[in-house]
Amino acid sequence: MFDTVYPQLIGLCTGALLLTSALLVWRHSLLASIRLLSVQGFALAALVAVIGLEEGEAEVIIVSVLVLLVKGMALPWVLAHETRATTRTDEAPRLNPTAGLLTVALLTILSYVVASRLLSGDTSISAHAAPIGLAMVLIGFLLLVTRRQAGSQLIGFLVLDNGIATVAFLTSGGVPLFLELGISLDVLLVVVILYVFAGRMRNKFGNTDIDQLRKLHD
Amino acid sequence: MTPVEAGMLGQVALLAAAVAAALLVPARWRSRVGGILCTLLAAAGVVTGVIALSGGQGSLTIPAALPMDPLVLSPDRLGGLVMVVVSAVGVLASLFGIGSARVASASRTAWASMAVFLFGMQLVPAATDVVSFLLLWEIMTLGSTALLLAHHATRGTVASALVWYSAMSQLSFFFVLAGFAVLAGATGDTGFAALATLDPASWQAGLAFVLLLLGFGGKAELVPLHVWVPRVLPEAPGHVAAAMSGAMVNIGVYGALLVCVRLLPNGPAWWGVLIMVLGGVSALYGILQASVASNLKVLLAYSTTENMGLVFLGLGASVLLRRDHATGAADAALLAALLLMVSHAAFKATLFLGAGAVARSTREMNLDRLGGLGGRMPWTAGAFGAAALGAAALPVTSGFVAEWMLLQALVHGSRVGGEVVSVTASVAMPLAVAVIALTAGLALLTFVKAYGIAFLARPRSEKAKQAREVPLIMRIPLVIGAILVIGLGLLPGPLAEALASAVGPAFTPDVRTIGLAGVDARGIDVVLDPATVVAIAALVLVPVLAAILVSARRHPTRVSPLPWAGGGSRLRPRMQYTATSYAEPLVRVFDDVLRPTRDVEVTHVGESRYLVERVHVEQSVSDVIETRFYRPVLGLAQRFGILARRAQNGSIHRYLSYSFVALLVVLIVVSL
Repeated sequence: MFDTVYPQLIGLCTGALLLTSALLVWRHSLLASIRLLSVQGFALAALVAVIGLEEGEAEVIIVSVLVLLVKGMALPWVLAHETRATTRTDEAPRLNPTAGLLTVALLTILSYVVASRLLSGDTSISAHAAPIGLAMVLIGFLLLVTRRQAGSQLIGFLVLDNGIATVAFLTSGGVPLFLELGISLDVLLVVVILYVFAGRMRNKFGNTDIDQLRKLHD
Repeated sequence: MTPVEAGMLGQVALLAAAVAAALLVPARWRSRVGGILCTLLAAAGVVTGVIALSGGQGSLTIPAALPMDPLVLSPDRLGGLVMVVVSAVGVLASLFGIGSARVASASRTAWASMAVFLFGMQLVPAATDVVSFLLLWEIMTLGSTALLLAHHATRGTVASALVWYSAMSQLSFFFVLAGFAVLAGATGDTGFAALATLDPASWQAGLAFVLLLLGFGGKAELVPLHVWVPRVLPEAPGHVAAAMSGAMVNIGVYGALLVCVRLLPNGPAWWGVLIMVLGGVSALYGILQASVASNLKVLLAYSTTENMGLVFLGLGASVLLRRDHATGAADAALLAALLLMVSHAAFKATLFLGAGAVARSTREMNLDRLGGLGGRMPWTAGAFGAAALGAAALPVTSGFVAEWMLLQALVHGSRVGGEVVSVTASVAMPLAVAVIALTAGLALLTFVKAYGIAFLARPRSEKAKQAREVPLIMRIPLVIGAILVIGLGLLPGPLAEALASAVGPAFTPDVRTIGLAGVDARGIDVVLDPATVVAIAALVLVPVLAAILVSARRHPTRVSPLPWAGGGSRLRPRMQYTATSYAEPLVRVFDDVLRPTRDVEVTHVGESRYLVERVHVEQSVSDVIETRFYRPVLGLAQRFGILARRAQNGSIHRYLSYSFVALLVVLIVVSL
């Protein structure tokens, strides 16, 4: 019974991941982006859980709970808390939404092309879904490049991280528990540090537009 | 363990001891302990080199962590010779440093890097493969750079001089690296023995030769890679300048010898012509600049370019003549190049140490403000005078023997048994003779100026008037240097035999000791026996002089109250010749090459047009090659730098975009 539903569940989860990533490029409001990121975290957790059920490994299920807690709840909560606490400035990205969505489409096509070359021998269902992870990495990078505010940059970074995690889960059937624990805590720590940094930037310049940080070169 | 191995291990141990002492010993004792350990380090180099030169074998194997063959240090005879020369200069410089190093040049960094510099320099000739050669070469360069850095805090010009030095060192390192890379690529190995199997006529050998010649020429201060010399050496303390100009340049010569004698002997004729052109241009340009320089150290620095030019001229002539089967003359030219290298090390080290002594006593290097030091610093003046004779290639000095041998080789080179050897040789040899003749004349003028203006006549400034002789520890190396200059000139036979054995077994110059340690170059049938000539001259002159003196005693001395001087006595020191005025005719003759800038400022008395109160004359000679060649190249590089700044503007977004685009490009390439 589960075997017939399994491909559809994988498709549903990865579809949700891709959709949330595309919507992140489209939406400009910081709080809406954080909600989308939370949804993406849930989708990733669901994906891990599905893979765990298919393989019948309890450890992967625990990892999925961990992903749910960190990426679905803790990180969005930290981001939202900090964003609400300060004056909200909405994003004025360097790319308008239409061009952004077009780029997302192109990046997704590219990642499918690349993945078809790299994983040509692998015919499993999860390997078929792997290009989504690659597309998320590229979309995360696109967010990093086009967003001005430090908060949005952080979201781009997290999408990139989610993309890496997706590729890892889909191609290797998950990473060991300890490794996942370490990575998750690392990401959490990075986010906290970057938020403190963004807060200091705001105190110094009055906003978090990283275009202001131009004096880093000699 | 063979003596050579023990010697090299001893050098490693003494390096460690010297660096430790430089870092740990308190400032009061640092110069003494550091200097003595550096002297011992250099002395160990002399001993090792002498054993290796006399045929001693031995190798030091250093296992490398990198995936390659272990580094093997094993000096052959030629390496031993160079090791002796550079270490001997190192001994003199370290001894002098004990007394002369003060404040910045006696710092921890200075003494530690002095030891590192000496160590690298002494062991470069022991390298038997490309990797260890380049490694020790860089140790030497880094040591010398750190040494020069010592004075950066007190003098603003040091920084720019160092930038020039580092850039030019790295440029010559790049050339050497590229040259060896071509050789290694062609033979598939990095050992010198394997590199020597390449056919010199192949295009790889030609390319490698040009690259290596440029690289080693840069270290030997040849034009056009000499621009760092007149900037760096005046900034260096006397003993450091002596070690750099007396010893380090020999490593450049060693590199060229390595290529022309060991790795790629019997190269094509154009190699010889290229080396001769490079050497000839350097010799002429160097001595021209030296003759008009009024800073003593700049003068000596440019004179190094001249001497190295002559060494390369001899080397090039030997390559060319060997190709034309004039073996006797080719051997003599090679021998002349080696003689010149050895004698240059002796007199240039002494000259720079002398300049260091003058700088210590007067804190003045401008010849126009010196004068009258002969009476005030007799030891320094004597040693400097002897070395200046050597630099001017006058008889009974080693410089004379070397230039005599070079001229003999060139004169005998164009014909063998009455037959013209080749068109190239019959054009090149007379031209080279002309170059040497002009160089020798200008060198004489230069060193008459250097010695005469600095040590004779009356002091031209208050500082020169109050000069005192330097302490004993600094006089010892000066005197040893002067004795070497005269001794090697009086007894050239044994030296020439040792040099001839050093280039074996590839080449076997036929020289013998004749008479009172004179030299007999059998290949071209010429004999020079300075000691015998001096002895005979003494036999004749001593009675004559004695007779003159005795007869002079009989007549009372007439004291003239007013010596002839255009009707008046020369009361003021400023009425004497200065270095600038002495060189004035030369500047006029070579106006087009030197391009001096003159600034004459006349202050009139009141409203008068005819009465002059004061005339201020300023003349400066810039390095034409620097202003005409390097400056435009640097300007171009700077323009590219400004363009590159647009790409590198500090915006995080732009950097992220670069990474993103790079990632996309990689992905697209992968999927194609």
